[in-house]
Amino acid sequence: MSAKSPRLVSIVDDDESVREALPDLLKQFGFSSFTFSSAEQFLSSGQVDDTDCLILDFAMSGMSGVDLMRELSARGYTIPVILITAQANETFRQRLLREGAVECLFKPFSAAALLQALQLVFPGT
Amino acid sequence: MTAIGNHWAPIPAGVPIGGHTGHCAGLLTGAEPAHSTHLEGETAILEMMARGVSLPEIHNALCRLTETSVSPECSCGIYLVDRAGPRLRISAAPGLSPALTEEICRPTLWSEGNPCARAARRNAAVMCEDIASDPLWQRSEFTVRAQAEGRRSYWAVPIASASGGVLGVLAMLQPTRAGASLRDRALIARAAELAGIAIERAQRDGALKRSEAFLAEAQRLSATGSFSWNVATNELTWSEQLYRIFDFEPRAAITLETLRSRVHPEDWPSLAPILELAREGIAEIEHEHRIILPDGSLRHLHLVARGTHDEQGRLEYIGAIQDITNRRVAEEALAKARSELWHVARVVSLGALSASIAHEVNQPLSGIITNASTCLRMLTAEPPNVQGALETTRRALRDGSRAAEVIGRLRVLFAKQEAKTELVDLNEAAREVIALSNSELKENGVTLCLDLAEPLPEVSGDRVQLQQVILNLLLNATDAMVGVEGRPKQLTIGTRLDEQGRVSLRVTDTGIGLESHLVPRLSEPFYTTKSKGMGIGLFVSRSIVESHQGCLCFSANEGPGVTFSFAIPRARPVASSADVAHCTRGTRLVSAASAASTLAGS
Repeated sequence: MSAKSPRLVSIVDDDESVREALPDLLKQFGFSSFTFSSAEQFLSSGQVDDTDCLILDFAMSGMSGVDLMRELSARGYTIPVILITAQANETFRQRLLREGAVECLFKPFSAAALLQALQLVFPGT
Repeated sequence: MTAIGNHWAPIPAGVPIGGHTGHCAGLLTGAEPAHSTHLEGETAILEMMARGVSLPEIHNALCRLTETSVSPECSCGIYLVDRAGPRLRISAAPGLSPALTEEICRPTLWSEGNPCARAARRNAAVMCEDIASDPLWQRSEFTVRAQAEGRRSYWAVPIASASGGVLGVLAMLQPTRAGASLRDRALIARAAELAGIAIERAQRDGALKRSEAFLAEAQRLSATGSFSWNVATNELTWSEQLYRIFDFEPRAAITLETLRSRVHPEDWPSLAPILELAREGIAEIEHEHRIILPDGSLRHLHLVARGTHDEQGRLEYIGAIQDITNRRVAEEALAKARSELWHVARVVSLGALSASIAHEVNQPLSGIITNASTCLRMLTAEPPNVQGALETTRRALRDGSRAAEVIGRLRVLFAKQEAKTELVDLNEAAREVIALSNSELKENGVTLCLDLAEPLPEVSGDRVQLQQVILNLLLNATDAMVGVEGRPKQLTIGTRLDEQGRVSLRVTDTGIGLESHLVPRLSEPFYTTKSKGMGIGLFVSRSIVESHQGCLCFSANEGPGVTFSFAIPRARPVASSADVAHCTRGTRLVSAASAASTLAGS
C-alpha cells in the first residue's frame, strides 16, 4: 500500500446493498472508493480519469458491465476491471475474461476473493 | 235395460246380433227381480274388485255366481281378447274342460272359428239353442269337442269396455237345448258387464303400477327422490328413492327432526333459515347441502321445491331432492387435476426465471457476506471500529431479511397448495412478481415502466394463481422482445379500475407483435411459437382468469408490440348471513352451498 493518497476504486452496481457494503470493506483494505448506480452515471461523473480500478456489475439495466468496458476501451481508457455477477457460470466467466476483465467474481463472493482480485490489479497490495 | 231388450230379442239360432252391452247399472231391475243371493254374490264380487283381488279370481267367482243363477247345469267361461293374436285367452272357466277352452282359444278372431271368436270379432252376441243344428260350426273341432262333452247349447256374449271396445267374451254352455229367457239374458248381460268392469279396473291398476314402477326406476336412475311437506301439519311424504338417498328404513316416519339429524352440521345454519322462510309463505326453494349417513359417508344433495296449497288451502311444498354426490366428486377431481396442471405450468414458468431468481437471492447474500467481512475487520482493527461494525451489522441484517423475503415468495409460488379465496391487491401482487423477474428483464435489456393506479380496489381470488398469470404475461412480453433491435425494449405493467367496476392489469411490450392468422390459436393448449416452453402459459392464464370470473384479452398496439390484459370483478364487500334473509315472500330462495367452494371448485 502506498503512503500517498489511497488508490481510488470506482464501484458501478445498480444494487444498493452492494453500493453500501463494498466501500466500507474497500476502506478496510486501504482503498478509497466512489459508487455509481449505472454505467451512464459513472461515465458522466468526471471520476473516470481518477479511477485506478473499476468494480463493475455485469447485469444492469441500460448499459451492461461489458458495454461499459467496451465504451471505456473505445474512449482510450485502460482501467483494470473486476466484474461481479450473480450468474455463476464458468463459460460465461471465461468469456468476460477474454473481453479484458482482470477477474470475474460470482456473487456472493468472499472478502478474501475480492482482495485476491485487487491484488491482481495492484500487485504488492 | 232398454238397450239390452232391443238388441237381444229376437235372437235367431247361431246368428250374431249387432250392438254391444256397454256398462249400465241395474240391468236386472227391469226384468225379473234379482234373487237376493245373486245380489249378495254381486256385492261380494264388487268387494273383491275393491280389495284388488286378481282378475282370474274375480272372473272365477263371477262364473260360479252366473252358473248358479242361470241354471245348475250350465257352465260359464270368461275369455279375454289378446290383441296380439288377435285371439282369446282364458281368464276363468271353472266349469269348462281344458280341452274345450283350448278349442275356444285356438283360432284367431279373424277366422271366427267358434262362436266365442265370432262374438268377439263382431262385438255381438252369438246364441245357439242347439249345436247339432247350427250350420256354421256343425263340423268344427269346437262342435265336436262340445258335443263329446255333452254340451247342447251355447251363448257367447261380448264383454265391452266403457268406450264400447271388446275386452273379451263370456261363454255359457248347457247340456240341454236351451233358449235364453229374458231373465237369463239380463243375468248374462249383467255378468258380462261386471266382467268388463273387473277387466278395466285390472288394466288401470296395471297401468298405474307400471307408471309407479317407471317413476321409481326414473328416480333410482336419476338419483332423485320426491317429497311433499305439509307446513301446517309438518307432515313429510317421501318417495322410496328419498329413503334410499337418506339411508332411512323404508316407510319409516320422517319428521323435520329426523331429517335434521342427517344434515351436515356445517350446512344446517344455511338450510334452517330457508325452511323458516318457507314456512311463512309460498316460495320456490333451491338449495344445496350435504348430509352425513350413519356409515359416515358424505352426500351432496340438491333440493328444489315449490310452494302450493293443498285442497284444504294449507301451505304445502312439493319438491325433489337429487343426489349430486357423483357430480360433485367429479367436479372436485376436475378441480384437482386443473390445479395440478396450473401448478406444473407455474413451476415451468418459474423455471424460466431460475437465473433471475438466483440473482435475486445472491444479491442480498453478497451484501451479507461483504458486510460481515467488513464488520470482522473493523472489530479486529486496532483500535476496533465499533461504530462502523454496528452499521455493517445492521446492513447485514437488512440484507438477510431481504433474502428471506425472496425465498418466502418463491416458496409460496412453488408450493402446491389448495386454491383459496382472499383479497388480493393486484399492484402488490405485480410488484412481487417484478421483484423476482428484475434481473431477467435486465438480462434481456428490457426497461420496465410501471403505471399502477393508486389506490386500486382489491379483487377476491387466489393470489398465487393471479401472480402466475402476471408472471406468464411478463415472460411472454419479454420473449416477444428478444429479437428486437433499433428501438427500446419497453415493458409496461399498468393497472386500473375500468368502467364496469373491474380491476384490470395490462402488460404492454414493444416486441414483434402477433401474426393475425395465429391469433385464434393463441390460447390453445400446447400451441407455441417459441422454441422453448410448453405452450400452456396462455391457456393456463386464461383458465385461471376465467375461474376468477374475468377475461383475458389482447390487442395490437398502435406502435410496435402487443398488449395483453385481464380484468376481474373487484371484490364485493364481505358477504353476511343477511344475504339469505333478503328473500321475501313469493321470491326464489336460493343459496350457494358454500361460497368458498365456488372458486375452489372451478
